[in-house]
Amino acid sequence: MSLPGLDLSAPVETVVTPTVHELKEQTEWRFEVAYGTKVEVRLLSGTAELFGTELPIKQSYTFTGTKAAIYTWHGCRIEVVGDCQVDYIAEETPMMIYANLHFALENLRDRANSEGIDGPRVLIVGSENAGKTSLVKVLTAYATKVGRQPVVVNLDTKEGMLSIPGTLSATTFTSVIDVENGWGSSPMNGPSQVPVKLPLVYYIGLANPEERTLIYKPVVTRLALSVMNRLQDDGEAKETGVIIDTPGIISQGKGGYEMIQHIVSEFSVSAVVVLGSERLYSDMLRRFNGQKTGTGETIAVVKVDKSGGCVDRDEAYLQQFRQFQIREYFFGDANTTLSPHTQQIDFHQLTIYKLAEPIDDLLKSLMPGDVTEDSTSAIFDKVRPSPQMQNAILTIVNAHPEDTQENIRDASVMGFIYVADVDEKKNKLKVLAPVGGRLPNKAIIWGSWPEGISDLM
Amino acid sequence: MSVGLPSDEVAEDYKNSLEDLTINSRYEISNLTVIAKENTEHAMAISRVLENHIKNTPPDRKLPALYVLDSVVKNVGTPYTLFLGRNLYTIFMNAYSLVNNQVRRKLDEMLKTWKEPVPGSLDPRPVFPLETIRPIENALIKARTAAIQAQQQQQSRAQQEAMARTRPMATPNPQWRNTPTPPQARGPYYPPPQQMYGPQHVPNGNYQAQPQYPPTATYPVPPQPTATIYHPPYPQPQVYSQPQQPPNSSDPIHQDVEKLISAARSEFSSNVNDDSLRIRLQALLALQGALKSQTLTPQEFQAARNEVARLFAEVYGTSRPVASAPPRTPIPPTYVPPQQVPQQQRPAQVPTPQNPDIQSLLSSRNLADIIAKAQQAPATPPISLLPFSQPQPAPQNSSIPSLSANLGDMLASLKSKGILSGASITPVNGSHGYAPPPAAIQTPPTVPGGFPRPALVNDVEVISASLKRPRINLVSTLYESRPNQCSTCGRRFLATAEGKERKARHLDWHFRTNQRLADSAKRGQNRSWYVDELEWIRSRDNPEDVPLTDASSDAARAALAASYAAADPKNKHIPVPSDPALANQPCPICQEKFDMVWNDEVQDFVWMDAMKIGNRVYHASCHSEVKKEGGTTPLRISTPDSVLGKRKAVGDYNTGNAKAVKA
Repeated sequence: MSLPGLDLSAPVETVVTPTVHELKEQTEWRFEVAYGTKVEVRLLSGTAELFGTELPIKQSYTFTGTKAAIYTWHGCRIEVVGDCQVDYIAEETPMMIYANLHFALENLRDRANSEGIDGPRVLIVGSENAGKTSLVKVLTAYATKVGRQPVVVNLDTKEGMLSIPGTLSATTFTSVIDVENGWGSSPMNGPSQVPVKLPLVYYIGLANPEERTLIYKPVVTRLALSVMNRLQDDGEAKETGVIIDTPGIISQGKGGYEMIQHIVSEFSVSAVVVLGSERLYSDMLRRFNGQKTGTGETIAVVKVDKSGGCVDRDEAYLQQFRQFQIREYFFGDANTTLSPHTQQIDFHQLTIYKLAEPIDDLLKSLMPGDVTEDSTSAIFDKVRPSPQMQNAILTIVNAHPEDTQENIRDASVMGFIYVADVDEKKNKLKVLAPVGGRLPNKAIIWGSWPEGISDLM
Repeated sequence: MSVGLPSDEVAEDYKNSLEDLTINSRYEISNLTVIAKENTEHAMAISRVLENHIKNTPPDRKLPALYVLDSVVKNVGTPYTLFLGRNLYTIFMNAYSLVNNQVRRKLDEMLKTWKEPVPGSLDPRPVFPLETIRPIENALIKARTAAIQAQQQQQSRAQQEAMARTRPMATPNPQWRNTPTPPQARGPYYPPPQQMYGPQHVPNGNYQAQPQYPPTATYPVPPQPTATIYHPPYPQPQVYSQPQQPPNSSDPIHQDVEKLISAARSEFSSNVNDDSLRIRLQALLALQGALKSQTLTPQEFQAARNEVARLFAEVYGTSRPVASAPPRTPIPPTYVPPQQVPQQQRPAQVPTPQNPDIQSLLSSRNLADIIAKAQQAPATPPISLLPFSQPQPAPQNSSIPSLSANLGDMLASLKSKGILSGASITPVNGSHGYAPPPAAIQTPPTVPGGFPRPALVNDVEVISASLKRPRINLVSTLYESRPNQCSTCGRRFLATAEGKERKARHLDWHFRTNQRLADSAKRGQNRSWYVDELEWIRSRDNPEDVPLTDASSDAARAALAASYAAADPKNKHIPVPSDPALANQPCPICQEKFDMVWNDEVQDFVWMDAMKIGNRVYHASCHSEVKKEGGTTPLRISTPDSVLGKRKAVGDYNTGNAKAVKA
């Protein structure tokens, strides 16, 4: 029992003395902040940017669970309050190359504008932890900075963009990217300091897209279709073009290359940017150099350096990151607290499809040669809620519950619910939904990814 | 970097970059320097390109191009100085002949720095060997001499009225003096050539403001009248083709002053940092101005003659008997060989850096003292070129009673004494506006006016090699070219009217958001459902940049809010109710469900065509229809507090609507 003003248990505020870092021009301050600790960063003078998004002077930013770098073109002084796991100043960065890539794209955009064609569609490939998403962010931030409206596509199911992991999404960026928190926030029913971004989300439900190309490829196709439609509908986006982030895993070999090929043709990619890997670069050159896109443009393949600041993110961090993204979806971030709604639902009110187990090789080998995965296996199994579903994330898609499996697979995501409890005796589910009210009568997919999260509520 | 690239390609790139160099941009120039530095193996090609560029570029772009040359030779050095030095005379003179006086001034300044070691460098050798520079200087001196002659002649005609006409133009912007007053409308920017090279009143301003001004300072103006040389390239050939005439034949004092000024100037040019010299020059020039303006009383005039004679004696070691005053004791005379900068004079002079010391120098309050101070050193033997018979001016001394560090003040005081007319002040103020970089700065060209513009060359291609070449100047398109920054989120806007408008909208957005954040603290927020494909394709999700109304004022907005309320009910909307029971209820009138739509303005999902009355939500269109038929009270209000509820609801609605519109 604590009385107001007599709360002796309150932790004594330790006075933290801020550290001031002086950055010379074209250097960056790399820092890592663990989940659970907070580091406050303020730009005192000069200019500074975090993955291309400029920090205004004297504005304080709080980071948690972040591995990032603050770069300066002109030199700056930053004030840091709090403990970083790692922090150091790096003088060698590939930022000049990244900026040049942006300027090269600007040239293409200007040309697109004058000739009335589509702006560049850029595909970023590279192995895991090569800094693909960071590069995408830099390019996006620079493009928005000069008033462009790029469509950014995330094809990496390991981490979500404006959504949770396990999804693919596309978003037109028209306003500044959130500095503190990844890409920012998808719409809420309230205001947000940083303008919210409107993503179009598709669900894969798999960590590794190669695991089930039957899911991944058609959904990519569908997403590309939407993006192309957007480009045709939205002059600004058309002129600016598309920036595509990919999962690192598809950059690792033959099967992945097929996937890259698929993405290139679906988005009619005009530039393949290879991050870091020489081998991948030569493979991409062999595959795409001189090839034409659907619209007759020549595909450019370029290699850019990987930043020395790229760190291998261990599985523990990645898992925390995924859980953070899920938590954020329901509960908001440090700046905005969201109130999701819990409700009890009868089993029969929900139509749940579970991703069917992939046919394993043994089974496949037993099939007649011309029978492909496509024609035989079901994509989903309709399931009844079971205790295994507890702690799972279910995905509501914009498809009728009894729609065809293909339509359900290709449907865009409406939102996610979290299964807090399964009561088999009463045939009731306790779920957490972002929005109050009865759940929409839509098909629900239960994927294997992202993994369940036990302590969400 | 671009090791593997053939020279041709580098040169071509360099050429393209140069061609985009239209203004004096520090970033571009330093970038071009960096490129030159990193491609020293292609120095020859780059030098050739640069040379051709300077040759071919239009006059208004010559200065930046020459600045590139300057920056390259100073910052990179050896291979380039060799290649560029070869044709430096042609490069420089070609450019010099085609540019206006203002630019020439800068070129003079630059040329001067080439004779000196690179500041801060350990290498004591000058930027270019003197053999390279000397021919240029000689040519310039000849040209300038011709200019002076011409100008003197012209001056004699210009006289007082011309001075009077310059008077009103006492503005800091030199270009304002463009006013084509007949005797002065000679050059495009700096109309009276005499202001450039002439010994009159103008340069003194320059000396005061920018002691390093080389055009007048660097190159001693030879007293001997030389034949007109080099006039064709000058934009004012007629000036130079005119024969020399004594400015005012009525009194040789003019000539003497002229000579003194020349001498002082040449001396000063050799040691621009010497304030005493500058002051002497100023005084002389002021005196000359006064003489020319003919505002002196006979007494003053006589005094001036005396002083001039005395000075002349000091300087030239010869004197003619003056009627009114005997020559003073000769001070070791100083004269500067007309053609070359006398380095030997340097030790003689107090190299006082800047203004602070002027005060002390000026505190002597006596021109003679000042000069004496400045000349208490051995100097070259006097060269007496012409016999002079000059009286001495006294008033000059007495009329510079308390010189402040500012020439403007000095002249003002002269003016107040009635010695100088207001005209003399004009050039002073005017010349302040120039503020060219001090020659001592390492790369003068990169400093002045180095404001980057968006018009930068962007030659980056999606080619690995092209991406690797640093182009720091382009980064300015991300920063400097968008100087108008939001202090909240760091977003940058152009400095154009459109940029301002965008920023205003942007700030408006922040403002509304903050308001709504305060509001929303009360009600719970939640994540919204994602939009579907069609909606996403059609969405233009830029809440801040979407102008809510064409009118930006609050009044207009309020008016709009009112009209909005009265407008088509289809446009009415309310946020989707958070109460699940209510959210699932259809419209009580038509029994149809509401359409949920994402609304950018309110940043929320809304029910279009909906309005809340009491605690029920109606389709606004249904409601208005029913109201039309049934009078003021909507039908089927089941709640007992219908009237109150309605009023409250209308109030709510209006505020809600206003909010929505604002938001």
